[in-house]
Amino acid sequence: MTNLTLNVNGEIRSASVPPETTLLDLLRDYFSLTGAKRGCDVGDCGACTVIVDGKPVNACLMLAGQAHGRAVLTIEGLATRERLHPIQTAFEERAALQCGFCGPGVILSAKALLERNPNPTVRDIRDAISGNLCRCTGYTKMIEAIQEAARALRGETRERAVPVPVEGARP
Amino acid sequence: MKAFQFVTARDSRHALALMGAHGSSGRFLAGGTDLLVELKSASGVPELIVDIAGLEELKGIAVNERGLRIGAMVTHSEIMASSIIRELAPALAEAAHTIGAVQTRNLGTLGGNLVTGVPSMDGGPALMALEAQVTVMGAEGCRHLPICEFFRGPRKTALGPAELLQEIVIPARNLGKPTKFLKFGLRKGQALALVNVAASLWVNWDEHVFVEPRIALGAVAPTVMRAKHAESHLEGRAITPEVMTEAGDFAAAEADPISDFRASAGYRRDLIAVLVARALAGAYACAKAEHEGKAR
Ligand SMILES: Cc1cc2nc3c(=O)[nH]c(=O)nc-3n(C[C@H](O)[C@H](O)[C@H](O)COP(=O)(O)OP(=O)(O)OC[C@H]3O[C@@H](n4cnc5c(N)ncnc54)[C@H](O)[C@@H]3O)c2cc1C
Repeated sequence: MTNLTLNVNGEIRSASVPPETTLLDLLRDYFSLTGAKRGCDVGDCGACTVIVDGKPVNACLMLAGQAHGRAVLTIEGLATRERLHPIQTAFEERAALQCGFCGPGVILSAKALLERNPNPTVRDIRDAISGNLCRCTGYTKMIEAIQEAARALRGETRERAVPVPVEGARP
Repeated sequence: MKAFQFVTARDSRHALALMGAHGSSGRFLAGGTDLLVELKSASGVPELIVDIAGLEELKGIAVNERGLRIGAMVTHSEIMASSIIRELAPALAEAAHTIGAVQTRNLGTLGGNLVTGVPSMDGGPALMALEAQVTVMGAEGCRHLPICEFFRGPRKTALGPAELLQEIVIPARNLGKPTKFLKFGLRKGQALALVNVAASLWVNWDEHVFVEPRIALGAVAPTVMRAKHAESHLEGRAITPEVMTEAGDFAAAEADPISDFRASAGYRRDLIAVLVARALAGAYACAKAEHEGKAR
């Protein structure tokens, strides 16, 4: 067994897992964080994208043991109870997702991009999300949403505070 | 994935000792972008995986007396972001940018790329066109070899089962040598090369002739290869677009591409001819821009 301790969404978590467990298995099956999706499971589709020490990676291509001592951010760590992240708000307002399976990965790739580059060109955005396959949208609205989020994060548009739906409150 | 033992190596001695004890039933783990895919599909899974991410001797990008040293554990993202590489060997940064997508480049390492020995590797051609050397570390010590001797066949390298690739060094005499890397894949993003090409050259401006032209081709032979006939066609010859096209034809003739589900051998040969001529023109344009910059 591999014993590991890591920071997940700001919380210190520990686990003891078989060595062949991937970071994706760890998040989904041990920590019940199912936001990162299992798509292709071989690094092509990006549905399992999470941010490790500030960098987007495919959780399916990392062994859990490699994440020992590191900080992992998943989509569950992005919004607070009160407020969506500006990227999530922009995706909602622009209707940038359809089925949504690729959404957590795309949004985390966008977050890592905007942290490094607050004013990206369309080319930069395309490059940043080229490892996130979407079979519904054709990407156009995603790119617009990321530009919109960039403006909001730069303080150029007034952000609307969109409340996060409370669990159980929906019909 | 089948079960295996996982150990995080403390340093290279530890890593080499572990692997020495396990022989061919163990594997080193760098970024894991190639190895994990293999482990998920393979029937014969290794008994032991040794994580080498913590090995200081395999890290870092710096200029020393031998040249530009890149540790094997340096990721493709780090290569793209390195101001030293962008200044002294920009073709390497261009090549790194064509590898997979951000997620793959954040994990995948240059060392891992070379050790896979995959003929279409994008990390190989620019290093070969700059006549890089590699340092291999074993229990008995280190040995240096030219990168063209490191590749031995598809997925075969000069590494023994209990040896580490430590570093890649671009010799000092080739730092700043005008170089161009080009890759042709079926899509812009996340596509393996049908053909990739790197060309480097110096120019004798008094006579306007090629000096030490070097051409490396990927995905068109059992390993990344030098196009030596094309190179000798150019050496000392007056620089014209026609002669670059001729070099492309020589390179296409000396390569040994295969037909597979991505492209036919004939299509790959056509690509070689075009890409070699374009890479030479690109490297020449770099040389010219620098020459004119100096003259001003
Ligand atoms: C989605 C996807 C897209 C990709 N796209 C490309 C592409 O466009 N171009 C391209 O060239 N490649 C591509 N690859 C392949 C791969 O990402 C690269 O080859 C990468 O550089 C491998 O490095 P790594 O650190 O992940 O290697 P690992 O997977 O950790 O290791 C690969 C092999 O090398 C050995 N090894 C690694 N480092 C050392 C060392 N220092 N000493 C001794 N042995 C070592 C390992 O034991 C293993 O056998 C892609 C992979 C994926 C999953």
